[in-house]
Amino acid sequence: MHGPKRYLTRRGLLRTLGMASGGIAAGRWLVPDLAWAQRSPSEKAVETFTGPRANPHWNSVGPYISEPQKVPLLLLTDRPVQLETPRHYFRTAFTPNEAFYVRWHLEGIPNAVDLKEWRLRIEGDVDKPLAFSLPELMQKFKPVAIAAVNQCSGNSRSYLQPRVPGGQWGNGAMGNALWTGVPLRELLDRAGIKSGSLQVQFQGLETGPGPEGLGSNVFLKSLDLKNPVLDQCLVAYLMNGEPLPMLNGFPVRLVVPGYFATYWTKCLTWVRILSAPDENFWMKTAYRVPDTPRGSTTPDDMKAGKVQTIPIGRFPVRSFLISPDGSSKIPAGMNVMLRGIAFSGFAGIQRVEVSDDNGKNWTAATLGENHGAYSFRTWEAPWTARSPGRYSLAVRATDEKGNTQPDEPVWNPGGYLWNRMERQEIVVGNAS
Amino acid sequence: MQYKIRAIFLLMCGLALAAACVYAETRKGNYAPAQLGTLSQPGPAELSPDANFQVSAYPAPAVDLVPGDGLQEVQIYCNTCHTPRYITMQPPLPAASWEAEVNKMTKTLGAPIPEESRQRIILYLQAHYTPETRRP
Repeated sequence: MHGPKRYLTRRGLLRTLGMASGGIAAGRWLVPDLAWAQRSPSEKAVETFTGPRANPHWNSVGPYISEPQKVPLLLLTDRPVQLETPRHYFRTAFTPNEAFYVRWHLEGIPNAVDLKEWRLRIEGDVDKPLAFSLPELMQKFKPVAIAAVNQCSGNSRSYLQPRVPGGQWGNGAMGNALWTGVPLRELLDRAGIKSGSLQVQFQGLETGPGPEGLGSNVFLKSLDLKNPVLDQCLVAYLMNGEPLPMLNGFPVRLVVPGYFATYWTKCLTWVRILSAPDENFWMKTAYRVPDTPRGSTTPDDMKAGKVQTIPIGRFPVRSFLISPDGSSKIPAGMNVMLRGIAFSGFAGIQRVEVSDDNGKNWTAATLGENHGAYSFRTWEAPWTARSPGRYSLAVRATDEKGNTQPDEPVWNPGGYLWNRMERQEIVVGNAS
Repeated sequence: MQYKIRAIFLLMCGLALAAACVYAETRKGNYAPAQLGTLSQPGPAELSPDANFQVSAYPAPAVDLVPGDGLQEVQIYCNTCHTPRYITMQPPLPAASWEAEVNKMTKTLGAPIPEESRQRIILYLQAHYTPETRRP
C-alpha cells in the first residue's frame, strides 16, 4: 500500500496521471514540451524595429506589403518605395521578377511610361546626339544577355555595430536575373564620344520635389569613361525573359555587372557624356566608402577626419545558407541537404565551404550550374547532426581571384560592403 | 483526517486528469483566432493594347508616430519628400545622429524648413527615437 507521503512525490503523481489518461497525455505531461511553447513563426509577428544592437534576423523586420507587379515583399519604406526580398526566394539561382527587391531614392517614380513618347537619349559631349525608341533598341541591335547579381550598396546594413542611419536592410536587398539588351558601348560608339570627355552620366525617370541642382531633385550616377566595366554594361529591356516590372526600372535599366546597384539606373532615359567630373550629391557625398581594406573604418577615425573616401564600386564575395533557415527543428541523425547561394563582383565562385563547429573544420560544398562570373552560384552540402542540440552553421565563399569572406565585421558610416561570413543557428531535436 | 487529505488529493488528481485529457485533445488541431484581410489578393489588372504601360498607385499606409511636441512639424515637412516611415524604420539613433540627419535634409538636400521648425523636429526625434527614449 502507498502512504500519503508516497502519493505526494512528483514522480508518483505524474505516473498516476499518465496511466490514468490512458497514455495519451503521458509523455507530454512528463516532459515539459517546448514545441508547445515555441509556437509556429506565423503566430507571433517579428518586432517592428531592431537596435541599437545588430538585427538578429536574416531579413529586415518590416511587414509584408503588396505592391504593383509584386508578390508580398518586406516593406522598408512606402514613399519612395523600398522593398526587401524574403529569404526563401534565394533557393534558386535566378530571383523571380515579382519577388525582386526594390529601392528608389526619390518619391517621383513613374506609375506609367508612354512608349509612344519615351526615348533613350545619348547626349552631352558626343559627335551626334541620338534618341532610340524601344522598338529601335530591340531591333537595330543584336540582343546580348548576361546573368548578373544586382545588390544594393546598403544590403545587410542592419548588421553593423554601431548601427548607422539609412535603409535598414537585412540580407534581401539583392537578386540575380538574366538581363537582355543592348551593349552600352554600341550606343556610345554610334553617338561618338568627343575626345577629352571624362565620364558617362546616367539619369532615369526618378525625380524629387527638392530644389534643382540638389540630390533631392534628381538621381544621377556616373562612371569613368576609362572604366573597363563599360564594355560589359547593358541597357536591358528584358529581365529573366520578361519586361522589367515598373518598380525595377521599366522600360530599360542599366546593368553594370559586378557593381553595386547604385549604378544600375532604373527607367534609364538619359546617357550623358561629361567633360568634367560629376560632382552631384549622389557621386560626391552619397555612396562613398573609406579607401581602406574592405572599406572598413571606425567611428573614431571618421570623427578625427582620418578617412579618405572613394565612390563605391564592385561588391565583395558573399555566400548564404538559404535552407534550412532555422525556423524548424531537424531530427538528430537525419541527413539533410544544406542549400544556398554565393557570388562575387570580382570573379566567379571557386568554392563554398560549410562548418558546423564554429569555423574550426570546413567541408567543401558542391557548386550548382555556372551561369557566368557575375551570377548567383547555387551550392549544396549534405549534413547530419550527430546529436540533439544547437548548432551554429557557418558558410563562406572564395572567388576565382582568391577573395574570401573573413569572420570580422565591417563598419563604415554609409553601412556599405558588409560581407562577413554568415552563421545560422539550427536546432536539432532528439529523434527518439 | 488522513482520509480527508486523501479524498481532497484524489479530487485534485481527478481535476488534473480532466485537464490533462483536455490538454492532450487540444494539442492536436490547435487553431488560434487570427486577423484576415490585412494583405488581400490583388484583382486582375485592366489592360489595353496601347503604348501606355501603367501600374496602379503605390500603397502608402499610415505611419504610427509617437505623439509629442514637434509631431506636427515632422508630419508637414518630412512628408514633403518621404513618409515618416523613414523615421520609424531606423534603429534607435543617438541624439547627435538625429541632428545630423535633419541637417542633411535641410543643408545638403535643400529641404525648406524654417529654423524654428527644424529645431522642433530635431528635439522631437531626440525625445522619442534614441536608444534611451525609444519605446517598442
